[in-house]
Amino acid sequence: MTTNLQPHPETDASAPVNALEVRGLVKHYPGVKALDGVDLVVRQNEVLGLAGENGAGKSTLLKALVGLVRPDAGEIWVRGEKVRLRSVVEAADHGIGMVFQEQSLVPNLTAAENIVLGSEGPGVRRGIYRWDTMRKLAQEQLDKIGSHIDPLARTDSLSFAERQMVEIAKVLRIEERTSHPPVIILDEPTSVLESKEIETLFSQVRRLREFASVVFVSHRLDEVLDVCDRVAVLRGGQSVGETPTAGAVPSDLHRLMIGSTGSDDHYHEGLSERSVADSEPRLVVKGMSGKTFRDVDLDVRAGEIVGIVGVHGSGREDVCRALFGAEPTLAGEVTLDGAKLDLSGTRAAVASGIGYVPAERKIEGMVGPMSVADNMTLTKQKSRCAGPMVVPQKQATLVDKWIERLSIRTPHRGTQIGRLSGGNQQKVVLARWLVAGDIRLLLLDHPTRGLDIGARSEVYRLMRELANSGVATVLLADSLEEAIGMSDRIIVMNDGRATKEVACPSGGKPTPLDLVKEMV
Amino acid sequence: MSTPVIADPASNPAAEPAVVKGGPTLGQRVTSFMPVIALVALLTALTIADPDFLTQRSLTAAVRTSAPLVVLAAGATLVVLCGGIDLSIAALCSLSTVLFAMWLPDMGGLTILAVIAAAGAIGAVQGLAHVLLRIPSFVVTLGGLSIFSAIALVISDAGPIRVVDRDSTKWLNLYVAGYVPMSFFVALLVVAVVSLILKLTPLESFVKAIGYSESAARLAGTPVDKVKVAAFTVSGACAGLAAVMLASRNFSGSPTMADNLLLPAVAAIVVGGTAITGGHGSLWRSLAGALVVTLLRVGLPIVGVPSAWEQILYGAIIVAAVALTLDRSKVAIIK
Repeated sequence: MTTNLQPHPETDASAPVNALEVRGLVKHYPGVKALDGVDLVVRQNEVLGLAGENGAGKSTLLKALVGLVRPDAGEIWVRGEKVRLRSVVEAADHGIGMVFQEQSLVPNLTAAENIVLGSEGPGVRRGIYRWDTMRKLAQEQLDKIGSHIDPLARTDSLSFAERQMVEIAKVLRIEERTSHPPVIILDEPTSVLESKEIETLFSQVRRLREFASVVFVSHRLDEVLDVCDRVAVLRGGQSVGETPTAGAVPSDLHRLMIGSTGSDDHYHEGLSERSVADSEPRLVVKGMSGKTFRDVDLDVRAGEIVGIVGVHGSGREDVCRALFGAEPTLAGEVTLDGAKLDLSGTRAAVASGIGYVPAERKIEGMVGPMSVADNMTLTKQKSRCAGPMVVPQKQATLVDKWIERLSIRTPHRGTQIGRLSGGNQQKVVLARWLVAGDIRLLLLDHPTRGLDIGARSEVYRLMRELANSGVATVLLADSLEEAIGMSDRIIVMNDGRATKEVACPSGGKPTPLDLVKEMV
Repeated sequence: MSTPVIADPASNPAAEPAVVKGGPTLGQRVTSFMPVIALVALLTALTIADPDFLTQRSLTAAVRTSAPLVVLAAGATLVVLCGGIDLSIAALCSLSTVLFAMWLPDMGGLTILAVIAAAGAIGAVQGLAHVLLRIPSFVVTLGGLSIFSAIALVISDAGPIRVVDRDSTKWLNLYVAGYVPMSFFVALLVVAVVSLILKLTPLESFVKAIGYSESAARLAGTPVDKVKVAAFTVSGACAGLAAVMLASRNFSGSPTMADNLLLPAVAAIVVGGTAITGGHGSLWRSLAGALVVTLLRVGLPIVGVPSAWEQILYGAIIVAAVALTLDRSKVAIIK
């Protein structure tokens, strides 16, 4: 610094120019202000974390940065130059690239084809693929990130983590377009990775920092603090603060994100008011076998939350689906409140008072282009009908009641569910099972996947309230901590068998390590 | 995660109501009327090209011609809304004209119902094959197309069969209110009744959920298989009704009578703006689409377009009409 007269770093000739700067970005959607004057600075060779709850505006901001969304007002500056980004290609021309949350690779092409797809350059001559050159181009990209993936491997034969490496290699192609260091945006890169794969990704991010700037978005605050140099927090479409990661703890960020001090009782154990020990078993499973599980015994009492934990391939997801009739059962006896359960299909399960929240919310949980109201009443049609007829007024009253009761944030009951944030979508999916008031057993397959802390907390509270009202719950939790925090009892599954039952009462919870020992 | 939400309730729980007003925007409303707008535009263009076109006689002729196409397209629309396709409608309709002509001497007035029921049953068999054997509807109905054509040829000895008893279908050639041909009136009735049943019952939700995302519909516990079989049944029954219309107008049944209606029916569905990928659309849209297609067929020669140009214009206008009518905000991927 040579002078105090020009305090802004971007106008100070001696200070390094910011790789990327966003000033007062505004974006309206009908009924919704997604961005409300966001400011953001990404310095050169830094990893900037971006945190915020669902609906805070992260996605919209990222889309604006890669030209997928055109802001209504505000400016984007790249290396001290004001730019207009109207497409992904224009963003790439300015050195900005994004690794998408939902992966954007074509599964039936090779890694090499995917890496050069859209920017083949010398890989194509006179319209003909030159495989040698393509492989070499792809290899160069993979070398940049020190990956050993075979460029000629078909993408769908790669693991999820490997595919992500291919995506990063692909995004780094933007270096060909600009002489400046690129800005790489990683949107929720860890949400589907195993912990070992996450470590690999992190070392990759640190390597990227040597020659690029990185914007890293994750729901997991500990990860953000681990891998980033600095974190910026968004709330309600505005920048509400930023902090260097050195010395910061997750609760600092959490406080900024939700605008108040986070509750200590994250899993709402205080809400649990029932003693379930002496209530009748509601679901009793004896010797159930299917394609991927064998001889599973399980019982869940009314008002009880039973977690099933297990590593990938333990068969717990299939047990859950089998109980809902969505997966064939080969043997075994299942009773609900003493009556034999028909496992032949999802219709029979619904008629018995069983509800299922699938892990893949966007594909299996909801019908994106249909309205909030129609999604909510999709299963329990009787709740909006008189005889065979739909009564719109009845539906409106019912849906509005549940929108209010679950504080679902939507402009209108007629809004397409796909336009809501993940947490609100999940609440609608849950409400589907509640509107008729006849739910007896709820099967929750990763109900908080992809949700932020605030939305998770609301789902937890809802689970507690349902348990208190006597609903039996089977929970496949997103993490061991969640399983421990929410469950009254935990079943450990191993290679398709239920191998261990761990009591998990409030005040006597096992540690994650106790469970891991049983899982492997 | 993706899209934004109005306000953060933690910061302001009381002031922000959970629900605010907001319906479809003006643009969205206009989009949903596009098929009608396209129809009016076409009618206007034809009238400008030849002022004599807009007479009661030619309009009456046009809507009477359109009646079988409207019925065929309406039935197949249900299958398309469920995310499938029914390629067998025209062949099944041809077969039905043969059955109609053959059964008429014995069954008299009941033949109409018998043919519709038989065609509906054949549609149901295709639906069951699609659902139970898990074969794509495209393949099942492509097979059906071939099978029904062949059966029609065999039982008719590969030639037309004269309709001997004209009394039982005479009513179809009458006029409602003096101007509207009865067959077209029946076609309107079919569209109206099926649409109303969809609208007033949970069926519309089921059909749309299945069309947009069958796995989500299944996991929500909707009767996916029953609805799909029902759609194929109605599609078959509509082919039977269209056959009655054709046979009563031509005074014969023939194994190839309706074969040239398959592509116009598909064109009518897409021109109406129903997404060929399923979920989005309606029978009303297909009605408008069928009228556009018929007006082009009937109207272009009338206004004096040379026959070579007729085909070119027909193709171009169909594509242009779809460009207008498809509501892209409801269809994620255009294939």
